[in-house]
Amino acid sequence: MLHPLLSRPRALGPYLALWLAPGSLLGAARAVVVPGDWRPALAITVPLCAIYAFVCLGAWYPALANPPAVGPTRVVGVQLAAAGTAAALWLALGRWWAGVLAGLLPDTPRVFHDLLPLLATAGVLFWLLAAAACYLFLARDAAHQAERQTLEAQVLAREAELKALRAQMDPHFLFNALNSVSALVATDPPGARRMCEQLAGFLRGSLELDRSERIPLGKEVALAHAFLQIERVRFGDRLRFVSEVDDAAAAVEVPPLLLQPLVENALKHGIAHLVEGGTVTLQAKRRRDTLYIIVDNPIDPDRPPSPGVALGLENVRRRLQATYGERALVVVETRPERFRVELRIPLQPPAPEGPAAAASPAPPPGGAGGEG
Amino acid sequence: MSEAPAPLRVLIVDDEEPARQLLTELLADEEGCDVVGECRNGFEAVQAVHGAAPDLLLLDVQMPKLDGFEVLELLDPAPAVIFVTAFDQYAVRAFEVHAVDYLLKPVSAERLHAALLRVRQRLAGHEAPPPAQALARAARPGAWLDRVLVRDGEKVHVVPVARVDYFEAQGDVVLLRVGAERLRKATTLNDLEKELDPSRFLRVHRSYILNLDRLAGLELYAKDSRVAILKDGTRLPVSRPGYARLRSLL
Repeated sequence: MLHPLLSRPRALGPYLALWLAPGSLLGAARAVVVPGDWRPALAITVPLCAIYAFVCLGAWYPALANPPAVGPTRVVGVQLAAAGTAAALWLALGRWWAGVLAGLLPDTPRVFHDLLPLLATAGVLFWLLAAAACYLFLARDAAHQAERQTLEAQVLAREAELKALRAQMDPHFLFNALNSVSALVATDPPGARRMCEQLAGFLRGSLELDRSERIPLGKEVALAHAFLQIERVRFGDRLRFVSEVDDAAAAVEVPPLLLQPLVENALKHGIAHLVEGGTVTLQAKRRRDTLYIIVDNPIDPDRPPSPGVALGLENVRRRLQATYGERALVVVETRPERFRVELRIPLQPPAPEGPAAAASPAPPPGGAGGEG
Repeated sequence: MSEAPAPLRVLIVDDEEPARQLLTELLADEEGCDVVGECRNGFEAVQAVHGAAPDLLLLDVQMPKLDGFEVLELLDPAPAVIFVTAFDQYAVRAFEVHAVDYLLKPVSAERLHAALLRVRQRLAGHEAPPPAQALARAARPGAWLDRVLVRDGEKVHVVPVARVDYFEAQGDVVLLRVGAERLRKATTLNDLEKELDPSRFLRVHRSYILNLDRLAGLELYAKDSRVAILKDGTRLPVSRPGYARLRSLL
């Protein structure tokens, strides 16, 4: 792994500028302690510190090779040895540089000699500081990684939960439909064929939806229609349905098979208990940043809502919450003769993010859908 | 069986038209079967059994108003029964109420034929029809009773228990007080008590089970003797054990 500073070339400039501070300070310290010509000291310390800036980048590699896990003794030992070596090399370089400068400022070698203890201390200290910075960076990196792993684990868990909660088709629907086909074969062969086609279409559609993560609501509505068409053969005139779906709502992407359990409930716990049947109303509309999906059906006032209904809805509720969090709602309204479920799904929060949100004009209030 | 037996009188009960069609059609191919009627729900079935006196019911389970088991509960004695349903989870219950057979949808001709043979065997054996009412009750799965069925001649009342103010024993029948209405059901208070949710219905007296929702107050009426005042002002006697039960519950 490359030193983090080297992988960010833009950070190198500020880093070097930072090193000018100790360079100037060391020179200035000498000038304060020994008044006189201040130039030789600065001529030594400023370039040396600039070079040491690069040398100290080397602290990264022993740090990488000896992560905190190896134990504090080893970490400190290795870095102290490295610091000593680096400082020694640095001072050798400084002596050479002082020799070079002697041509210009004859005082320089003497000044360097005076500075030697200070420079040796600074050399070791700076290296250790650089090493500490590396460890800090490594620790922060590890924390980030752990956080990312936690997040990934959460996402995986959520996906697993969604998979587990995925609506399962009621097999009795199939058995009943096949029974109807069996009846139609003798009395109405074209009807039997039509029903086989519808059944195949519905099965294919629901398998396809089951495989997708998100689907436009319109697709799910189409599937619900196919389902209701098949059930109409069974229920005859007892089953009537009305569907009011805004174009804006049909385009919204939702988790698959949210609507299907609601429609199944409406038949199983509503229409099926009524001698004269009734009308299932399906509505989907979009108001500002919320999608409303409403299924409303008549119920038999003498038949208390069975526990199965609550169970199916709990499943829908948990799926919604796994996807949208607490902002998604399942609102159930039971009146003596009607049962109404409303799903409220928040659309993606930042408005400019979703082009559909910006493009589609808000439908006039009180348009397609009535209030309760 | 050398002589052709008398034709079997069959009543078909199913709320779905295609399902009735299929059974009619399959029965047309069976020898010695007369379809004497088709019913679209439990109410019609109860009436038709009285009118047409069939030997055999082909009975769906899930139907509007009265389900198949509730129909049986109202028929005493009941004809032979074959349940026809898409659901296999009722099978155990079906045999507990002495159904002859249990057919799964989609219905096959072979399976129906075999079931009809069993019906003929059972009828030929002059087996006494089982007391369907008691059995249907015995077979009710765990849950408390949520509605009471009352047969009144040809008419059937389905009364949600929540609407009953109290039950009163009167000789060999139980009187249901539902608002201003009084309905008579052929059962005993002891049997009913076992089926009613004890947190909502309490035996306050040898002759009364009270819907606790209706209780407005208690009044000391004589030493060791109390009356329950209902919200509509009705006063019911409360026995000493009844009062003890009431106190432990409230």
